[in-house]
Amino acid sequence: MTTLPAADLLAAGRDAGGSPWAGRLRRAALPLAFFVAVLVLGLTMAPANVLELQYAVSLALFAVATNLMLGFGGLVSFGQGVFYGVGAYTVSLGWMHQSLSFSEAMILAPFLGAALAVPLGMIALRTRRLYFALLTLALSQLAYVIAENQTNFTGGTNGVFGAMVPSWLLVPRNSFLLTLAIVTVSLAILWKVLHSPFGLVLRGIRDNRERVEALGVNVYAHELAAFVISGFFCAVAGTLFVVYSQSSYPEIVDWTASGIPVFMAVIGGMYTFFGPVVGAFVYEFANHYLIEYTQDWQLVIGVVLLAIVLLRPDGLAGSLSAIGERWRRRRDRVPAGPPPAPLPPEGGAS
Amino acid sequence: MARFLTEAIGTLSDAGSLFVVAAGLTLVFGAMRVINLAHGSFYMYGAFLVTTIAGTSSGLRFWVALGLAAVVVALLGAVVQLGVVRFVVGKEPLTQLVATFAVLYILADIGLHLWGSGARSVNAPLAVSGTFTLAGAYLPVYDLVIIGLAILVGVVLWLLLSHTSLGWMIRAAVDDPELLQAGGVNLRRLHLGVFAAGALLAALAGAVVTPQISVAPGMDQSIIVSSLLVVVIGGLGSIVGTAFAALIIGIADTVGTLVDPTWASTFMYFAVIIVLVVRPWGLFGTPER
Repeated sequence: MTTLPAADLLAAGRDAGGSPWAGRLRRAALPLAFFVAVLVLGLTMAPANVLELQYAVSLALFAVATNLMLGFGGLVSFGQGVFYGVGAYTVSLGWMHQSLSFSEAMILAPFLGAALAVPLGMIALRTRRLYFALLTLALSQLAYVIAENQTNFTGGTNGVFGAMVPSWLLVPRNSFLLTLAIVTVSLAILWKVLHSPFGLVLRGIRDNRERVEALGVNVYAHELAAFVISGFFCAVAGTLFVVYSQSSYPEIVDWTASGIPVFMAVIGGMYTFFGPVVGAFVYEFANHYLIEYTQDWQLVIGVVLLAIVLLRPDGLAGSLSAIGERWRRRRDRVPAGPPPAPLPPEGGAS
Repeated sequence: MARFLTEAIGTLSDAGSLFVVAAGLTLVFGAMRVINLAHGSFYMYGAFLVTTIAGTSSGLRFWVALGLAAVVVALLGAVVQLGVVRFVVGKEPLTQLVATFAVLYILADIGLHLWGSGARSVNAPLAVSGTFTLAGAYLPVYDLVIIGLAILVGVVLWLLLSHTSLGWMIRAAVDDPELLQAGGVNLRRLHLGVFAAGALLAALAGAVVTPQISVAPGMDQSIIVSSLLVVVIGGLGSIVGTAFAALIIGIADTVGTLVDPTWASTFMYFAVIIVLVVRPWGLFGTPER
């Protein structure tokens, strides 16, 4: 059984005629429009809102990096908060212990995340499916208790607060632009990775692990590579949390925090590249305004998650592409048949 | 010797309540192949219900509260099963985890409305409070209540699962559901019963520990982590494994506290990692297909 992510499916359909450049341009149109919209919004909004937008942008990277494993590798990790935490704590602890400058820490953090992902991935990937999800959850909680209890090193429950970013970054617009630039470059790299032969093999493993294994592919090595790449970019997202909040504290690495990028991917659509980006924006803005207007944000988020996971497992992006498909069919006057909406890989490796 | 006894009884008591919660979790997994992240919510509801029903009484009313809380939460479990969980049986692990996590959020919110965000406490009945002396050690009587309950639950579950036709059905519900249904067994009703029983066990554990802890929001999320560690170490679906694993976690925690308090809470995670590196499917589990 082969399932292609919605974006690819649609792109493939549209690329059938016309030059490759036209297809490439059309495929880039939507992300580009989104990027420009975010940029314009960030440059024109009030400073308080810019900060919120900046946070959503950084979470988008966290969600896409997590989805590299979740949607493309079929590896359900509830432990990506560990690497997010490595990113955030590298910057804040580097500042607190006066061992690293801000820029040094920003560069070092992703590599620390990737380096930590090697042993953790080697352990976690020994397990499969549900055990993998629960073991990564345990790793996240382990990171949490370490961050909480090693008070002398990590600041304990209160975490680290202070002037850890250079003063030019305290201007909301500057920190927004830096965040947007880092996230855009990171997403471009992740896009390249997922559309390389490596990304294709990864999807193959998700859909039919046994067949890929039989073809002589080292499944373990590919999954470990995905784990390490994801750890790298989750750490990048973590450094951006410090740029946003000038702090780091244990709650950003516990298992519910690790669940958040997973939920974003599920909300936005885990079988597309940009689905998690949409999910991150929806989740963060909903969260922000819900907390402001109601005490029952947990209830609302719970109901929304439940509705999506039970009714539309391919998330908002899946719904959108289904609507788009219906619209195109009406335009092209193609007789209605069963919609070719991408289905989640049932029963296959996950 | 006195020191050892004190630590041993404390450890057994902690492991006992943990076993009762985790047994519910693994029972549900064994019959339905669903991991319920909202299982900790049932534990919390059991505890809060006891604080509501027992009030400041330190007599018979506590025991009534214990039973009532368990029954009410079992009914709540039935509602959750009918409203959510039955739709995710047989689905991908991700779907199950996200759906039951959503239930955790929803129940946490409702819990805040019912009981507020403050901490509550309950007195143990006079008959089982205080301490007794054994070999020079002063030991809490109430620890014996918890240990007794854990042994009772363990024995009943073991007899039920391996020596009755109901237990045979529960095991067949996963191995060969079609054949079981062809034999005239109502699988939906079986799932409903097992899920309610799982919720009941969680509530019972939450209710029985109330005299020893402060009952507060957030205990749903912390207990679910420990019980997940237990069922993963023991092997998902294995009651015997769960009992061993609860002991391992209890001992890891006690030893950790004795060796180095700042690292104490990490010991149980390292126990999990070590077990899973050696046996990726847990001590008494079976390798996944």
